[in-house]
Amino acid sequence: MIELKIDNRTVEANEGETVLQAALRHGIEIPHFCYHPCLSIAGNCRICLVKVTGRPKLMPSCNLAVTPGMEIETDSDDVIAARQAVMQFITLNHPGECGICDKAGECRLQDYHVRYGEPESISLEPKNKKPKFYDISPRILLDSERCILCSRCVRFTKEVSGSHQLGIVERGNHSRLERLESQPMDDPYSDNIIGLCPVGALLSRDFLYQSRVWYLEPIRSVCTGCSRCCSVKVWRRNRHWHLRSLGEEMNRKVYRVTPQENREINGPWICNKGFDLHKFMGRKRLLQPMIGGSVATVDEALSEAKKLLAAAKSPAALVSAHASNEELAAFKETLGSRMTVYSREDYKAEEGEVVEDNILIRENKNPNSHGVHAMFGDLPWSVDSGHDLVLVWGDNVDYTPMGNAKVIHLASFEMPQERHADVLIPISTTFERSGSFTNFEGKVNRFTKVFDKPGLVQQAGDVFGRLGA
Amino acid sequence: MSCLTDKFDRLRATYPPEMNSSLVLPLLHLMLREKGHLTESDAIFIADYLGVPAMQVKEALTWYTMLHRKPVGKHVIKVCRNIACSLMGAERIIDYLKQKLGIEAGETTPDGRFTLLLVECLASCGTAPAMQVSDTYHENLDEARIDHILKELS
Amino acid sequence: MTEPRVFFNFGITDDSHTLSAYRGRGGYQALEKALRTMQPLDVEKEVTTSGLRGRGGAGFPTGSKWSFVDKKSPVVYLCCNADEGEPGTFKDRWIFEHNSHQLVEGVLLAAYALNVRHAFIYIRGEFDLSYRRLLLALEEAREAGLVGERILGTEFSCDIIVHQGGGAYVCGEESSLLTSLEGFKGYPKNKPPFPAVKGLYQAPTVINNVETLATIPWIITHGGGAYAGIGAQNNTGTKLFGISGHVNKPGIHERPTGYPLKKIIFEDCGGILGGKALKAVIPGGSSTPVLKGFEIENVTLDAESVIKAGSMLGSGGIIVIAEGTCMVRLLQVLTRFYAHESCGQCTPCREGTAWMDKVIGRIVAGQGVKGDLERLEAVTSGIMGNTVCALGDAASMPVASFIKKFRDEFEYYIEHGRSMFDGRLEI
Repeated sequence: MIELKIDNRTVEANEGETVLQAALRHGIEIPHFCYHPCLSIAGNCRICLVKVTGRPKLMPSCNLAVTPGMEIETDSDDVIAARQAVMQFITLNHPGECGICDKAGECRLQDYHVRYGEPESISLEPKNKKPKFYDISPRILLDSERCILCSRCVRFTKEVSGSHQLGIVERGNHSRLERLESQPMDDPYSDNIIGLCPVGALLSRDFLYQSRVWYLEPIRSVCTGCSRCCSVKVWRRNRHWHLRSLGEEMNRKVYRVTPQENREINGPWICNKGFDLHKFMGRKRLLQPMIGGSVATVDEALSEAKKLLAAAKSPAALVSAHASNEELAAFKETLGSRMTVYSREDYKAEEGEVVEDNILIRENKNPNSHGVHAMFGDLPWSVDSGHDLVLVWGDNVDYTPMGNAKVIHLASFEMPQERHADVLIPISTTFERSGSFTNFEGKVNRFTKVFDKPGLVQQAGDVFGRLGA
Repeated sequence: MSCLTDKFDRLRATYPPEMNSSLVLPLLHLMLREKGHLTESDAIFIADYLGVPAMQVKEALTWYTMLHRKPVGKHVIKVCRNIACSLMGAERIIDYLKQKLGIEAGETTPDGRFTLLLVECLASCGTAPAMQVSDTYHENLDEARIDHILKELS
Repeated sequence: MTEPRVFFNFGITDDSHTLSAYRGRGGYQALEKALRTMQPLDVEKEVTTSGLRGRGGAGFPTGSKWSFVDKKSPVVYLCCNADEGEPGTFKDRWIFEHNSHQLVEGVLLAAYALNVRHAFIYIRGEFDLSYRRLLLALEEAREAGLVGERILGTEFSCDIIVHQGGGAYVCGEESSLLTSLEGFKGYPKNKPPFPAVKGLYQAPTVINNVETLATIPWIITHGGGAYAGIGAQNNTGTKLFGISGHVNKPGIHERPTGYPLKKIIFEDCGGILGGKALKAVIPGGSSTPVLKGFEIENVTLDAESVIKAGSMLGSGGIIVIAEGTCMVRLLQVLTRFYAHESCGQCTPCREGTAWMDKVIGRIVAGQGVKGDLERLEAVTSGIMGNTVCALGDAASMPVASFIKKFRDEFEYYIEHGRSMFDGRLEI
């Protein structure tokens, strides 16, 4: 432990920590643009300058190691003057277009301008023109006029994702962010740079002009894209701002998915598949219970299923790796002991998808195989098992290998089949229930319901309760 | 390109092997001499040869001012416009060259023979005004000397 | 007693730059002496005793710089900073063109003292004859067993690699030079760590200017004490001064430190062109604050005296400006330069240098308004001390000092939309 004083307050810091880190840990705010705890120190924005007693020059606190007895001032006149000067420089060529910028409302530059800047620029010069709507990738746009060249995104591609696909080209005030012209950015982690950007320079094409961020609220959820189970924020329209005249679907829409920092599991990042989670969840839903391909009520479907179960001599269950731990427990308690249980993986890596890397992405493209295996073992189902009834739980199912066995299917999404299931019951998606998954390392990650499920859609746990009764 | 990589290999042998990345600028210089100007694909070629990220080489290519990224004429005239040369008549020299070549700074004559560039201090302050034609320094310039130099290049 | 000369101690002929000529005037004897009779630490001690201060501009004591390096580190690098780019400075070129061997010997002595196996000479990419003369000297030295394996048959081996820059003033800043040498665009690094601790490829690294290193052979031959006896007390030795601008005989002069500034201008350089009055002097390269003619009356060419006068000795590039020169347009030459050379990394310098250039440009175009000078002063104080490297300060000092010293000229330009001196730069 090292003791130092920040603004006359005695603060304990760890060996090797910087003044900025120690201050932030103790709730002392020092503004910073380029500093990020998971990236190398760039020291280029210069907004974090502080005064060190005994040193003639202000020092960037992000690159200032703590030493015993050090005395730091973060609000002396010269520090405030330097901050105001840096704000003048940073906003010199920054277009004041918060009104049309997606970042407004969660923009560091906007916040700091209010807190640390002077009300007006002292410049009379016209602002520099730089490329707007430059395509970093099919997923990301760059507005170079807004960019403050903090290099967070560049360092991310060098140090975290390892793609090295971004760089700052040219020099002086002609400097700008660019990709290679001949190689569009295909970094599977690219979308992290959108949130990493402290200003509105890097924009999600998917979220572009979709909503002002203050109308939205994040719900903590878990990505189902692979067995890492990264924590995510799923952004829905805040209830206070629900739209009455534009259609209810606007209120039930996921506007974007962003990483939720989770030190145990994914740190501050997720992969692009996670950013697309709402697209995965937004596929065509199964909304109607069916018996042999004909529309039925929930009660009719359940009693038909119950009848089939009672008649079966050798029933089997294929358990979904997208089921939550809580649903798995409900199944075990109600039906599990009455049938042979096999585990199934709903999804495999698709063509072109990264199968596995040593960052976040795992080979198993389902969130809860670990939970399924822990409860039911990992017996894989095969065609020749000789069952006369199969209860299939989960999506992406082909009935063909089931042969003549009766099929009861619980699924969330539509999938065209050669034949009809004997009973088909629509169930909720991860966004429509709360629960937990156990990731490949055995770490449990919880998710919260984002929306209510549609009318006829069932919770799998309830279905098992009624079938087992 | 094989002839080029032979040259690359020879240059590489002059640096300690652990300093592979240091060859970025020397190789860019070498390639510039071969090709006159460089593009992103040249940067990628060097990056692939060295096994360093292409972006590192592209950043360097766009950052160092000696690396031409547009085609230049047979003779590149670089006139110093910094303080000591300015005090000794750089503006007059530049105007004379513009008029004589019929082009503005940054341009190339239609016949592709001359490119006129304005550059910063060439460390010829004691012999100002000065310019470089391709690599060669010409100092203590006046109109007559410029006439002579251009004539020699013809 | 004649003044001792470290550099101007031979007559320049067609082949005075060759190895045989250099050996003929005692060249490489300092290396012999060091390798055969001195321990590496003895070499460092002599340099420390000499009081030699870096000749690149910052004037840091060389022995002290060397002492920070852990010589037991598995790798120590030496880089000779030959990226001579400070406007008004042209002394290193003289050394390369006329006596590259003296530099090579200096590099070898420093390498011996610092336990360096690979030394680098980072030379300006634009240099032509200098570069060729250096390569020639190295080739000769290698053939003569003075560079490479087992130098002069001793255990000491050292290779010297010449690395050409790509046209970037900021690469003369030592951390920027290292980034550039590592194969990147030359962004300066934040300090700490300092290069002596973590420099080239994270190894301890010493960066010394050409003139600094080329002085070492003399110090080893004659002893640090002898060198300390020359010139001013706290800024010893002789130094190369390059005088340019409005003087009758511009050029390089070697003078002991403490030599009167006025004397070098009016006697050694033959006074002001056309017999005009002296308007101003920039005493140490374009970054150092300008002095008005009358302010140089008692100034001597050593760090202390020049600082007392309100400027800096810098690189010893003395720029002389005659009466009748337009200081507003002259400043524009400098702001354009610094805006062009700002690397783009840190906010105050990237934005501030270009901003200053735009404001000055507007004033020169006759579009200046009241408040522009205060605006410029605000920009300089926002840059100074707040940047990653010294380029920010270097760009701000001329602006601040030109406005301070020649405010009436700037005000006149703004008020009338034209120069008080017809925009003249050439006299």
